[in-house]
Amino acid sequence: MAAVDLSKLDFDAIARREQHTDTRKAVMLAMAVMLALAWMTPFYYLVVSIFKSNAEYGTGHPLALPQSWEPVLHNIYEAWTKTRMADGMFNSALYGFIGGGAAVFIAALAAYGLTRIEFRGKGFWFMLIFSGTIFPLQMYLIPLFMGYTKLGLNNTRLGMILFYTAVCIPFPVLVLRNYMAGLPREMDEAARLDGCSDFRIFRSIILPNCWGPMTALFLIQFTWIWNDLLFSMVLTSREEVRSLMNGLMVLQGSYAATTPNVVMTATLMASLPTVILFLLLRRHFMNGLKLQSL
Amino acid sequence: MTASIAETSLPPGIPSVDAMAATERRRGRRRFWTALAFMAPALLFVGIFLLLPVVFNIYASLTQWAKFSGLGEYAGLANYERLLSNPNFFTATARTVVWVVASFFLPALLGLALALLVKGLKGEETFKSIYFLPRMFSATAVGVIWYYVYANEGIVNTMLRGIGLEGLAQRWLYEAGLATPAMIITHLWQQVGLTMVLLLLGLNALPTDPIEAAKVDGASRWQVFRHIVLPLLAPTILVVVTVSVLAGFTSFDLVWVMGRDFPNRSTLTLAVNQYWESFRAGYWAYGAAIAVVLGAIALSISWSLGLLQQRLDRR
Repeated sequence: MAAVDLSKLDFDAIARREQHTDTRKAVMLAMAVMLALAWMTPFYYLVVSIFKSNAEYGTGHPLALPQSWEPVLHNIYEAWTKTRMADGMFNSALYGFIGGGAAVFIAALAAYGLTRIEFRGKGFWFMLIFSGTIFPLQMYLIPLFMGYTKLGLNNTRLGMILFYTAVCIPFPVLVLRNYMAGLPREMDEAARLDGCSDFRIFRSIILPNCWGPMTALFLIQFTWIWNDLLFSMVLTSREEVRSLMNGLMVLQGSYAATTPNVVMTATLMASLPTVILFLLLRRHFMNGLKLQSL
Repeated sequence: MTASIAETSLPPGIPSVDAMAATERRRGRRRFWTALAFMAPALLFVGIFLLLPVVFNIYASLTQWAKFSGLGEYAGLANYERLLSNPNFFTATARTVVWVVASFFLPALLGLALALLVKGLKGEETFKSIYFLPRMFSATAVGVIWYYVYANEGIVNTMLRGIGLEGLAQRWLYEAGLATPAMIITHLWQQVGLTMVLLLLGLNALPTDPIEAAKVDGASRWQVFRHIVLPLLAPTILVVVTVSVLAGFTSFDLVWVMGRDFPNRSTLTLAVNQYWESFRAGYWAYGAAIAVVLGAIALSISWSLGLLQQRLDRR
């Protein structure tokens, strides 16, 4: 920065400006607080609703505090049984863990091939994998449904896991390719001279250095799978294999008007796992976003 | 027996140039196959479950496939002609255009406003988490919550009545002119936290020198923002716009859940229309054609924004 000629500075103006800055900060803080309150209102509404009985919900102000906490037990019981939530939770967790985990691991393998081994035409192979992100999901629906019907994969957990794995691969490949390209090459070159196989180098040198971004990516993919409705709607119809969000959607379809308090309870219960995950692992989620913006 | 000069003139034990080139070619081939082995699982998954369906979808859109037959019968562009004459398609497209325009401008604009509001503010992390929290809920859950927010006796109407504006209370999700804006507001409530975080990352990565220099020179806050911050932030803004607009106009879950009671739900957006025509009505070829239209919109958006990005990078 250029040196400042002190004699030319208007110290009164600076003092005024700082005073001005203080009031500006206070106004901004007030705005942020008000906005945050507005932002939280739907959540507040969600939380008070689960403590209301059906009659109470129907008669009172939607934002009124509940008269007692007791109705929540009945609401949870109803939400749990009507959505078959045990099945839904199990399925969504299964799809998220296996689909997300397998996708990130497969992406790491591909990123290794794309960055740590010299060969011609890398750009082409990368684009081939990455082209899996440029089409809207609607273009997959009909062919998947028909192909799955032919192969008997409709309404199976295997079918869901296979698709979720595939759709979660391209983005992590992009991120991990950028990340691995930045890792120093001395280690794997030394290992290669010692006669280590590529898989050994991948497993013992590259993988341990990628846990950070891989965790962040896994969390992103897990959340995406857990929260997806569309593919569960198209590829499953049986209650035993459908995902949690599908169950929630069906519940809303039949009980939205008659028992809103139960539907709201189911909504909160279905959302809690990812919300808790976020609150506990906020740093990792934000790291994931950092990766996304690179 | 003739031997090349290179071979005869070299001392024994040292391989010839030809031999070295051959070895190098062999090694190069082996490296390629090793790399391919590492990429193979990703290529197989992406090829079978994503790219093959896209190709098949395009093919299916050119057939007469409906209900249980017609997949083998070529129809030319008949399905696309049918699109143009179908009033449902027209209405759905008009609403989709509203989604495209809204998700082009609003998420980035509001995200930037939020980012500038909380940046450096006391409790920045807490505010960030609060604005970001809706993003952790599924679009399904958000749709269910806001379905009640907009309900007859929901928050919005109760508040309007509370401040004496009974006349403005509406059946928000049932009215043709209101349903799409209402859903877009919900969508923004969920997405703006994400665009805010992405833009904050961009803002924090900006070089501080030009900004400080301008401040010392007496530039006003608006001038600094307009002439220094905004141009430097442009590439980030463009990424955010691209992500937002692609996610916006193809969103299905939210519209499906919130649009439950809308008369003729299939006209809500093209994404819903596509699902409806194929999975509810069984017009597979026609539904595939709608998917191709969606794909064409998405590709042209990301292509033109990509060109813009290139121009910014070159600057």
